[in-house]
Amino acid sequence: MFEKTIAFRIFFWVSLVVIGMFVFLPLLWMVNTALKPSDLTFTTYFFTGPLTLENIKAIITDRTIMNYLKNSLIVSFLSSFMATLVSSLAAYSFSKFRYKGRKIYMGAFMMSQAFPQAILLLSIYLMMQKMGLLGSYWSLLISYVVFTLPVGTWTLKGYFDGIPDSLIESAKLDGAGTLTIMGRIVFPMAIPGMVSIAIYGFVWSWNDLLYSMTLVTDPARRTLAPGLSMTFLGEASTNWAAMMSASIVAAIPVTIIFVFLQRYFIAGLTSGAVKE
Amino acid sequence: MRKALLVLLASLLVLAPAFAGGAAEEATTAAAEGPVNIVWAGWSGEEEASRDIFNEMRSGYEAESGNTVQWVGWTWADTAQQLLIRLQGGEQLDIAQADIGIFNTIAQTGALADLNEVFGEEWLSANFPASTLAVGEIDGKQLGLPWSMASITMVYNPEILARAGWDSVPTTIEEFEQCLADVAALGEGIIPYGVSTKDDTAAGDLMPWLWTFGTTIFNEDGSVNLGPEAVECIQWYKDLLAKGYIQMDIGRGDARQLFAQGKMAFYDDAVLAKGQAVSAGVDPDEVVNVCSAMARPVLNEGDESQSTMWGHMLVIFDSSEYKDTAADFAKYLVSDDVALEYFRRNGMPPVTNSASATDEVLSDAYLQGFIDATSTARLDETARMTNASEIKAIVTEELQRTLLGQTTAEECVETMRTRLEAAI
Amino acid sequence: MAKFRNRGRLTDGQIGFILVIPALAIFITVIMYPFLNAIAMSFSDRSLLSPNYEVVGLENYIKVFSDPYFLKTVGTTILFVVLATIIPFTLGMIWAIVLNQGFRGSEFLRGVTLVDWIIPGTAIGFLWSWIFNGQYGILNALLQSLGLIDENISFLGQTSTALICVVIARSWQMLPWYMSFLLGGLQSVPQDRIEAARMDGCNNMQVFWHIIVPGMRQIFFLVLVLGAIGNLQHFDIPWTMTQGGPARATTTLSLEVYRTAFKNWKLGQAATVGTVWAVLLLLFSVVYLKQVKESD
Repeated sequence: MFEKTIAFRIFFWVSLVVIGMFVFLPLLWMVNTALKPSDLTFTTYFFTGPLTLENIKAIITDRTIMNYLKNSLIVSFLSSFMATLVSSLAAYSFSKFRYKGRKIYMGAFMMSQAFPQAILLLSIYLMMQKMGLLGSYWSLLISYVVFTLPVGTWTLKGYFDGIPDSLIESAKLDGAGTLTIMGRIVFPMAIPGMVSIAIYGFVWSWNDLLYSMTLVTDPARRTLAPGLSMTFLGEASTNWAAMMSASIVAAIPVTIIFVFLQRYFIAGLTSGAVKE
Repeated sequence: MRKALLVLLASLLVLAPAFAGGAAEEATTAAAEGPVNIVWAGWSGEEEASRDIFNEMRSGYEAESGNTVQWVGWTWADTAQQLLIRLQGGEQLDIAQADIGIFNTIAQTGALADLNEVFGEEWLSANFPASTLAVGEIDGKQLGLPWSMASITMVYNPEILARAGWDSVPTTIEEFEQCLADVAALGEGIIPYGVSTKDDTAAGDLMPWLWTFGTTIFNEDGSVNLGPEAVECIQWYKDLLAKGYIQMDIGRGDARQLFAQGKMAFYDDAVLAKGQAVSAGVDPDEVVNVCSAMARPVLNEGDESQSTMWGHMLVIFDSSEYKDTAADFAKYLVSDDVALEYFRRNGMPPVTNSASATDEVLSDAYLQGFIDATSTARLDETARMTNASEIKAIVTEELQRTLLGQTTAEECVETMRTRLEAAI
Repeated sequence: MAKFRNRGRLTDGQIGFILVIPALAIFITVIMYPFLNAIAMSFSDRSLLSPNYEVVGLENYIKVFSDPYFLKTVGTTILFVVLATIIPFTLGMIWAIVLNQGFRGSEFLRGVTLVDWIIPGTAIGFLWSWIFNGQYGILNALLQSLGLIDENISFLGQTSTALICVVIARSWQMLPWYMSFLLGGLQSVPQDRIEAARMDGCNNMQVFWHIIVPGMRQIFFLVLVLGAIGNLQHFDIPWTMTQGGPARATTTLSLEVYRTAFKNWKLGQAATVGTVWAVLLLLFSVVYLKQVKESD
């Protein structure tokens, strides 16, 4: 893509070192903290002093924390899948069909993203309670889908807009039904977009603290972000080492999944799905 | 028409599994009959340091009574807000753990039961000292049952003071400043005094110093006081900052961290101060060597030393169907054996007449400093206000602006007054 | 849905409507009511302390607009949103170009970069307040040992630096996200066009500005909009690091709403701030969309 001129080489190496340090040094510091014995947490040595796996072991053998992790994975996966599916359907509809009320729905979807979520919390709590969903995974899934939906719909609409109508028309002439067109032609072309929305939705659920803490109070179904705060950010003390260890341990499975998805995502893009 | 039907159908399709899930949910909660299930809310049952003892308290009571206790918990910082949300939804809530701030907030909603009726006045006055009962009393109603009480006073590190040449603690502000200077002169990078300058705790720490200087934020009738002594007090803060004795960006959490690392000589905290030191590896029995409570220095010799009331209470909700069971459980929690075990494991001082008079409690050197300060402790000035947090945010913001040099001490007090008057 | 396919009678419009039903159903049941409820709340004295409330008309709006700090909060919000979007976007773009060079280990670096993004916000807040801390901060220790400073700097304790510290922490969290979008975009730029430009004698800079940037317009637009929306809503990092201080230097609208609703219990007033925010955003998007249309 770029010619390896001297200027480019300088740019490459400077960027690699500078941004690399920015991205990885804090992360290594976290790892470093996780590996220090807890009475040495606040010393400043960087991998050069005593190291131990005690903190990591304590997290992995803590069944409560592992259960939070499991819950987070379940909720994040399901909500990300649901959000992607629902917003793909809506986006395809907005992009390729014309009917009454379409513009109003589109506008309304966007507006909901523009309102601070803290305000919506009480109403959503009361509604979930009326529906009898309080404390269930469903209360979280529905809230997370709702918050990913607007962004997902608008993003994917952009992808579908890029697919020429003629392609769909010719498929129709060949006798393909709506489902076939969606499943065989339209959706495969938008896979990169769908993967990015899935990842967006996943991380949204993964990081959410407020909704999870409010809607689910049973430790058996609690997710990781509120679980970690409750366990380690106490009234009397804060356990930094455990907080960092738990964050690192939890990040590993997700990173592996994302690395896999990222390849897929990039492969989708390079196949030239998005045409100008 | 057809379109409307389609909408209905699809909505049902989408929502059906959701409702199914919900129905199953209700079935399990409604199943409790015979032995009663009560809901106990709070935060300590979630924290790693107290999770085990809380579980033991619950299962101990369950084994003894045959009832079940369901724990519902959040982070300490969010407990007040989450209790309010739960109350608005009318979800089951029988008994909760509350610190003074949370207690006050919940009491304002009118959702708490009068414990004089639940326990009987006699039982309460026979078992608890009047001074601790007063903390849980609002307008003649006993809304909170004292569980652990002490005060927020000053904490110091005897080892650092000894190195700075101080064998006893400073008793007047003059001595205090001298001591801070001596600590600074050690040149070990020790922060002499970690008074809070960040978040709401900054306002909390300012109050006892205002009292020490001879003024208050509010008058008895609730109007803003902030006498001329307030300017002196804030100017004193500015001077301490200029000399490097106190620092910006220190909240309670930072102070605890630094103190536990032996990098701070004084700060303000409650009896749970030792929690951070213990989790940083200090032997609980030797905590008093590096973390000891003291009386706050006074302006003139002979003045009364100031401190703020601190404590945990148990509250029972008026809407609870099982108030008697909740009361029974509360009695179990404050009973000598359970309360002393809680004290042993987590350092929470028991408050009943009988438990607080045991040798074990009386001979605890660490606790004694806090108990001594408690006799003259006052309630935080915002403790009975509905908008306590807003008031504290205003005080903190204006204090920070002055410490950062954006305003003078006089301006600080004036702006504080204007904003507080608008807020009350 | 399979049965709809064989019914030739459904018009295109109807099919389109059916597709949007699931989204609409979730949307109406879960968002519409809370949303309208919040707007209604902004005209009441609704408090978290009591389920009873009275309608107070415009009182909350008058209070919000007469608050001497409200404009400052809006300003801080804009500054935070712009900086916390542009900085990780730029760094993410450069990082994507670097990792796109395909050297040995670049795939590994790509994967590990993502870890930053998956760490819970509260933990990131703690990590970065530790780095910037004025007493035991890692950055201060580093600068001291390099001999660059003599005295510790209280990065989070002074108004001039607190916001930028929070922006840096947020940028660190979001850089991987921008990187992966932009890397995908970079690889979708058709190779033949770049080669054609090279034949015409374009150098690296010209190829970048004339081929790559126009080729990635759609992706740029997408990540900038998503990133800005995320930053507008963002809450946990500044809350953990500074609680909006010192002297309100890091108080954004999102923090203000949270504090008003969940620390001061004033739901009505918080809803007012929320409504004002939504209106501002709406105005902004209308103006923006108009310009986009005109430039097309």
